[in-house]
Amino acid sequence: MSTLWTRFRRALAFLLLGLWWASAGALSADAQGPVLVVSPEGPYTSVQEALGEASPGSTVEVRGGVYAGPLVVEKPVRLVGVGWPVIEGNGEGTVVKIVAPGVYFGGFVVRNSGDSLDEENSGIAVEAPRVVVEGNRLEETLFGIYLREASDAVVRGNVIEGKALEVPRRGDAIRVWYSSGSVIEGNVVRRGRDVILWYSERLTVRGNVVEGGRYGLHFMYCDDALIEGNQLVDNSVGAFLMYSRRLHLRRNFIAYNRGPSGFGVGLKDMDDALVEENLLVDNRVGIFADNSPREIDSVMTYRRNLIAYNDVGVQLQPSVRRNRYEANSFVENQEQVHIAGGGRLRENVWEGNFWSDYAGYDANGDGVGDVSYRPQRLFEDLMGRYPPLQLFRYSPVAQALDFAAEAVPLVRPQPKLEDRAPRMAPVLPEGVPAPESRPQWAFGVGMAVLAVGGVVLMGWFSLGWPGDRRRGRRGDLPRPRFLSRQPEALAANGEEENMEPMVTVRGLTKRFGRFVAVRDVSFDVGRGEAVALWGANGAGKTTILRCLLGLYPFEGDVVVGGYHAKWQGREVRRLVGFVPQELSFHDDLSVEETLAFYARLRKTSPELSPDWAESLGLEELVGKAVGELSGGMKQRLALAVALLGDPPLLFLDEPTANLDVRSRREFFDLLCRLRDAGKTILFSSHRFDEVAVLADRVLVVEAGQVVSAGTLGDLAATIEGGVVVRLLVEPGQVEEAVRVLQRAGLEAERNGTGVWVCVPSHRKVEPILVLAGAGLSVYDFVLEPFSTVDHGGE
Amino acid sequence: MDWENVRAFAGKELRDARHNRWFWLYTAVFASLALALSWMGMAGVGAYRVAGFGRTAATLVNLVVLIVPLMGLTLGAMSVAGERDRGALLYLLAQPVTPLEVLAGKFLGLGAALAGSLAVGFGLSGLVVAWRAGVVQLGSYVALVALAWGLAAVSLALGLLVSVLSRRASTAVGVALFLWLLLVFLGDLGVMGTAIVLRLRVGHLLLLALLNPLQVFKVAAILAVRGSLEVLGPAGLYAVRAYGARLMPLLVLVLAAWTVFPLSSVYLVVHRRGMT
Repeated sequence: MSTLWTRFRRALAFLLLGLWWASAGALSADAQGPVLVVSPEGPYTSVQEALGEASPGSTVEVRGGVYAGPLVVEKPVRLVGVGWPVIEGNGEGTVVKIVAPGVYFGGFVVRNSGDSLDEENSGIAVEAPRVVVEGNRLEETLFGIYLREASDAVVRGNVIEGKALEVPRRGDAIRVWYSSGSVIEGNVVRRGRDVILWYSERLTVRGNVVEGGRYGLHFMYCDDALIEGNQLVDNSVGAFLMYSRRLHLRRNFIAYNRGPSGFGVGLKDMDDALVEENLLVDNRVGIFADNSPREIDSVMTYRRNLIAYNDVGVQLQPSVRRNRYEANSFVENQEQVHIAGGGRLRENVWEGNFWSDYAGYDANGDGVGDVSYRPQRLFEDLMGRYPPLQLFRYSPVAQALDFAAEAVPLVRPQPKLEDRAPRMAPVLPEGVPAPESRPQWAFGVGMAVLAVGGVVLMGWFSLGWPGDRRRGRRGDLPRPRFLSRQPEALAANGEEENMEPMVTVRGLTKRFGRFVAVRDVSFDVGRGEAVALWGANGAGKTTILRCLLGLYPFEGDVVVGGYHAKWQGREVRRLVGFVPQELSFHDDLSVEETLAFYARLRKTSPELSPDWAESLGLEELVGKAVGELSGGMKQRLALAVALLGDPPLLFLDEPTANLDVRSRREFFDLLCRLRDAGKTILFSSHRFDEVAVLADRVLVVEAGQVVSAGTLGDLAATIEGGVVVRLLVEPGQVEEAVRVLQRAGLEAERNGTGVWVCVPSHRKVEPILVLAGAGLSVYDFVLEPFSTVDHGGE
Repeated sequence: MDWENVRAFAGKELRDARHNRWFWLYTAVFASLALALSWMGMAGVGAYRVAGFGRTAATLVNLVVLIVPLMGLTLGAMSVAGERDRGALLYLLAQPVTPLEVLAGKFLGLGAALAGSLAVGFGLSGLVVAWRAGVVQLGSYVALVALAWGLAAVSLALGLLVSVLSRRASTAVGVALFLWLLLVFLGDLGVMGTAIVLRLRVGHLLLLALLNPLQVFKVAAILAVRGSLEVLGPAGLYAVRAYGARLMPLLVLVLAAWTVFPLSSVYLVVHRRGMT
């Protein structure tokens, strides 16, 4: 029985197949009719000529070649291009015009229309019903395919690339005008203005790609349209839908639409639309709805859409009612739902959507959150109420406000909507024709170059760059005007006999605000002379030296080596090697790097003459990091830096303040040798022993003034008046020592860990004897002239 | 001005930056946050097959506004005042150089260090975007980086001004941090409050907000990446309508002025008071 049934079914199938084949053959023969061939070699060489000969229903086959437009098709024929024949419009008017119904036009390249917007110059203009325009390439046309009162047309598989004009000066890539029942399918549109569909019912718009224009799709007064599987990418607006009923928008990929308006889908005065399973990604606004629905009994439904990475997911006017949002996925939109003008949404349904910022939980594991989703961001609320505040989007202050509202319920706004059953996982639409994501290699290479460039930039300029040391060679650099050890150079300048002082200071005054640190100081320092600025700490010695170097603005005149310190500071400093009281090298640099750096600034070689290198013991320092050096070594390095370029002058500011006794002696030996070698030295000190060893002449500085000046002999006379003995005793016996000395009738006081005693200069040893008599040990003592002791401390 | 000296100081500054823990911390924080944000921004490629650069760009702009001023202000504030505290500045100035050369070297060196640091962060972040197939124009991304460099220059210049005006490094850093707070939060908060209370006109609100260089950067960055300012609401639309094609050059000019003005003030202060 079953075998018989099977045989019967097979026979029936063969019969049906045979019938279909016979009818299809008959139909196609009828459709093709007689064939007229147009080609550059004939029989017809012009399309218009062939059309004149053609009878209704015949086929005109046009073979590869260029044919002059414009072409007007006034008979219901099939025009079939073989081998991409070109209809050339030569930049004038409309290229192809079809005014007969039922025409088939396919396989052509239609090129170069006129560019008059007023005349609506097009690639292909259709003005009759049931026309099929299929598989053509339109290049450099103002309007692309224009259906004007051409109902039931099919526009399929065309590639339309407009003229390279600014967007407002372009025409519409596809315009459908009073052409109900048409199908727009599988077209690719680039560089058009809009795809416009107006006053047409029952349209099908399927599988098109529209990119780089203004409106991807613009619907107006088009009821019952199906918009499916399109890719609307990189336009100002993806799809703008207006004044239409029962529009069904499904499974479209609508992304990166960010121009003016920047809506993925905009809906205005729409009724009963169904928007489902679309991907709305990275638009300025995913969905924008205004006055939709407009009729009292209609409903707008949005379901299973993915609305992700937009600045605003959904933007609604506060008046919007009867919108149902079901099972959509709101993912990482900067603002998930925005109410233009603020307030709360009413009479809309939000149910079962996924919200990426949902902070609730799902205890029973049914995939639905157990607490409602209620967006309550303060900044969003403020933006809603006072739209200009959108200016502060992407500012940290916006997050700060939201954070504050989270922390302080008092300022938390009312939620703008409530989803009572938020999904815990997104629902992803299937079957949407999204473009393949491929890594962007070119961009990636650019970024790799940027990152590597960053690393190189951080390393390039740096001190350790090999090129650094090449610079700073001596060859072409200016030499100092005075070179102490090169009398021949001086002679060449005719300055050998010039006995002008190396340093001339007249009326030097330095104020810090109201405080006068140096008052009307004048002195000279002769060439080859070693002069001490002798005085207590705080007397103004350091300030004088800094003024001489041109480091401070000051009043008065300072001339060093013929240059004015006030406005020729750089030249002055080129003549002076300076050793400061506080050394501040970079501890991580090596000794050689340090010398190289300062040599570069001094425009000289980092090598010292072998004599001085040996005297300074530089060999001992080589290869060490500065941080590893002792105080004495650092001081030697500082002197080495000061001697770079062999400057004629040395300024030293309390150079031994931080050295122990031995290092101090060694350092001063070096200075004495420098003096003997002809350097002019100006140094400050408060230690008489240093002054006595090095100075030819002494300037006694007190309270910012030079109170006396003269040779050491003169100074000794000054000291005759009185002397301060500084005593170092056991730390625990300082107070007792002061008491013992005072009981002995001496003027004594504590000074830190030591004791000061003022005595007449012929009784210098008396304090030590008094303390020894009381059984107190004295480890060390220093003598200083009474006038230089700063009783206030520094 | 002797450019060889400027170059030497810039090199020294760059080297110091490389030995500065703060600098590395900032670089690491910026790079890792930029990387993480672009990773998260582009996560959609895995989950939903698509992802936009728009979201990543927004978070990057936000990150730059938050971190770059902090980097520039504090590093700038520490530079002069820190060396003055240690006595190193005096020693440098005692060489045959001018304060202007030292300052220019500091600005360029620190600027280069910051530019390098930002380039690393943006480069890594861009690599993620490229790998995850984000749709982004190289031109807009480079414009974003260039604007971030501009903002770094502005904050560095302000930091240097704070530094030369402060007596101590600790004071300088404190003032810099306050300034950062002012620019990032307090200023905008004040403008927002004023706008709400006085119902400011949109043009006035825009001008008031653009007194803050951070907002200038933000508006310019959004314009560069998005091509429009609609996302900034009425004020953004007003800006585009009022200034049109001149808007971007104007914003860049304002950023440049925010760099030049503090640097000129630094020069004047140093000229009047000396640098030590």
